[in-house]
Amino acid sequence: MPTIALNDSLPLAAGDELKCGTAVKPGRSAETCFTGDATPRKRKMRSDSAAEDNQITTTTPPPKPCTPTKWKSPRRCVDDSPISPPFFELSEICIDTEQLRAVKEALHVSSVPSMVVCREDEQKRVLEFCKQCIEQEKAGSLYVCGCPGTGKSLSIERVKESLLDWAKEVGYQPPDVLDVNCTSLTNAPEIFSKILGKNLPQKKTKSATSPLQHLQSLYSQNQQSTSMKMTLIIADELDYLITKDQAVLHDLFMLTTFPFSRCILIGIANAIDLADRFLPRLLSLNCKPVVLTFRAYTKDQIMVILRQRLTALPYNVFQPQALELCARKVAAASGDMRKVLCICRSAIEMLEAELMPSKYNLDLLSTDNGYSDDWTTPAIDPIKQEIDVVRIDHMAVALSKTYRSPIVETIQSLPQHQQIVLCSAVKLFRRGKKDTTVGELSKSYLDICKLTVIPPVGIMDLSSMCRVLGDQGLFKVGQAREDKLRRVTLKVDESDIAFALQNSGLRELE
Amino acid sequence: MGRQNQAKEALILLRNRLCNPRFVFAPFSLSPDSNYSKLKFIVSSSVTEASNNSALLLGPRGCGKNAVLELVIEDMLKEYPDTVSVIKLNGLLHSDDNCALKEIARQLCMEHQLLFSKMASFDDNTQFMISMLKECGLAHKTVIFVLDEFDSFAQGKQRLLYSLLDAMQSLTSQAVVIGVSCRLDADQLLEKRVRSRFSHRKLLFLPPSKEDLLRILKHILELPTDSSLPHDYVAEFNSSLLNILADERFKQLIDTLTNSDSTCNHLLKFLFSAVCHMNVETGLLSIDNFKAALPSIQRQPKLECLKDCSILELYILICMRRLEVKEQESYNFNSVMKEYKSIHNSFQTSDYYSRNVCLRAFEHLLACELISFMDHRGHNQSIEFRPVKLLISYHELYQGLKLYRSCPAILQKLIDREG
Repeated sequence: MPTIALNDSLPLAAGDELKCGTAVKPGRSAETCFTGDATPRKRKMRSDSAAEDNQITTTTPPPKPCTPTKWKSPRRCVDDSPISPPFFELSEICIDTEQLRAVKEALHVSSVPSMVVCREDEQKRVLEFCKQCIEQEKAGSLYVCGCPGTGKSLSIERVKESLLDWAKEVGYQPPDVLDVNCTSLTNAPEIFSKILGKNLPQKKTKSATSPLQHLQSLYSQNQQSTSMKMTLIIADELDYLITKDQAVLHDLFMLTTFPFSRCILIGIANAIDLADRFLPRLLSLNCKPVVLTFRAYTKDQIMVILRQRLTALPYNVFQPQALELCARKVAAASGDMRKVLCICRSAIEMLEAELMPSKYNLDLLSTDNGYSDDWTTPAIDPIKQEIDVVRIDHMAVALSKTYRSPIVETIQSLPQHQQIVLCSAVKLFRRGKKDTTVGELSKSYLDICKLTVIPPVGIMDLSSMCRVLGDQGLFKVGQAREDKLRRVTLKVDESDIAFALQNSGLRELE
Repeated sequence: MGRQNQAKEALILLRNRLCNPRFVFAPFSLSPDSNYSKLKFIVSSSVTEASNNSALLLGPRGCGKNAVLELVIEDMLKEYPDTVSVIKLNGLLHSDDNCALKEIARQLCMEHQLLFSKMASFDDNTQFMISMLKECGLAHKTVIFVLDEFDSFAQGKQRLLYSLLDAMQSLTSQAVVIGVSCRLDADQLLEKRVRSRFSHRKLLFLPPSKEDLLRILKHILELPTDSSLPHDYVAEFNSSLLNILADERFKQLIDTLTNSDSTCNHLLKFLFSAVCHMNVETGLLSIDNFKAALPSIQRQPKLECLKDCSILELYILICMRRLEVKEQESYNFNSVMKEYKSIHNSFQTSDYYSRNVCLRAFEHLLACELISFMDHRGHNQSIEFRPVKLLISYHELYQGLKLYRSCPAILQKLIDREG
């Protein structure tokens, strides 16, 4: 793509882009831009410059070899250009795979930013609570709840670090920290031995008393405890500790109520009402834990977080509208940050996939025309610099892939007889019944076959088809002594089936 | 003689191909938006970028999910020989968390030539797995976890899934988790927090469409021109094959086959049977081979039973059917005899046998399991009084009578009436 042409067309392109919000690819600029203004420029480009992708469209050889000397790396030319408009980020024009990789890494769930934005209030509250406990040398319990992907574990990690820093600064003894994820416990009471392990690392726990009793006795005696440090216990996925009699959870929170208790307990879980449902007795003892709810992220918060991750990089890979679409959709559905990051990465992959075949095409053409040396001396292949940003259509496809259920497609691709079986089930269940036997289903199936003049299969094939449909999750087939008596329930919505089969000719039966 | 040898060689080649999933699914690797390419992209980008990823392969049984996964893994092991290790778990065998972790630890030990202790506890195994993942992450080795029958792992508390997916949230590990399931709603079975950690890449494997089916058939059955077989034989074989594939009757045959089950597995079984029917004298496939293979795939045991019945037995079956149509809930041998008599009276048939003979026929039908007693009480009663029911449906009876070698017209008339 000749730089001159780029300079010429850019202001126009930028303006147009702002108007309509679609990315402009300078490689194909003339074609994708609005023809009205662009065509005169297009002609100018053709006559002036050596071919770029006009060569792709036409087969005329480029007129003069002098133009390659005007080729510069698009980035550089952009900076040189006197007409570069200030509002248009020209640095986003040329993206290559390395950069896409870096962006993907920045958007990965495991790359944790140094500061957790949008959760400042919650972090402050937890920090204040912990500071208070340490200052007053009192025990306390806090329960953090919220939907998955709302930054609970992440925020508590930060709070832990800031607490340790603060304690060192102010001169208090920094508390021992026990970070346990309750899914890793074999059985619930093991958490007490873990706490004990932290408290008195030298002591062996092979005594006759259980760890819980040990802890309880520890916290009821005065002398030993005042010399002990405070213990900060962070219990992630607290609901794994729920047992039938709810004893473990209860005892855990009760540990903080002992007169000489030294532990600050922070529990993290998803259920908002865990404290009410499983710890009712605590209310009567007036020591209910403080409950802190992490609300699902709103669209604005998601945008802020995404921007924080992406501003670290010097170039733009996303169109702002695409990011907004993603944020809106996910905020409306669940507010789960992990999903946002995953969808963004998926959109980048779609962009990559789009670029890869075009890269092959263009490389081939450039070498064919014999301009290989001059044209490819800038490190980045100049032909390939379409403006590679993730556009709304990439994002839309990524969103639909995540949120779409494969049911409709699968039903459409089922073999004919299995579709008839589904229809017969729908017909049976229309009359109000919600489950039936295979025998009844076969009668309905035979009726439909008669209507559509399709020869039916035997009962053995029918029952194996029911089993296949059950395997896939479309039916639920129970067990019974005889094949014919197995109960069949439909697990898919009727409207899904109707939608999927609307063009198949079986629709008229519904 | 030479021709026969060539034919036998061709037969061996074809049978080898049909039993080799690599060959069958290889053409899918060429098209960029096939599931094979997508899966390969996901796995290879995770390996090269050293990031974590997860994917779910969904689709009915027999559509090639495991075959394509095997292909992709083989490719990965070839391309990146030292940086990829594979751990395979199966939901039917390892759905219990303890069992699964033990198996993971054992496979990790095998991969890295460490000693595995059977006495290791659950905790030890978990610690081992987490530290191995960290080590692999530091050494830039990616671990690919393949979870077969993924929906079985989603039962219970889903601890294994949670710990695997949680380990992937940290920077220190490099792992790819690929779940394979035939349940379409496999990801709905996951708990909220497990689902949140799972990146929602789902690849849907569907049975091939009609065009794809023909393409697969061509790909499998066409003999290669560069094999050890002589050129003219190969050319003759391939041209006759193309003729068959274009034939209308063949298309109808394939339609009948795929109407009830259109998965790749089913098709391969059918092709294997058809190829085995090939006539080694001519050395060419013909449409009759395919026709002969169809009944062996779509078996009708009751019809085969019916072929061996005598005419009297057919009469008895039809009488029972007529009683059913008259909505008599329970009938026994005596009522069947009454019906038989009434037919004889109204149609003046020539086949009227005595009661004893009919009883023999009745017992034979019971032995064939074309009819059976309603329940297993009443052993004390004699056969004539116990209620019986038909085990063969109207349609099968109808078809069986049509195929019967010398069915009397009266029976056809009687069965037509029911329609």
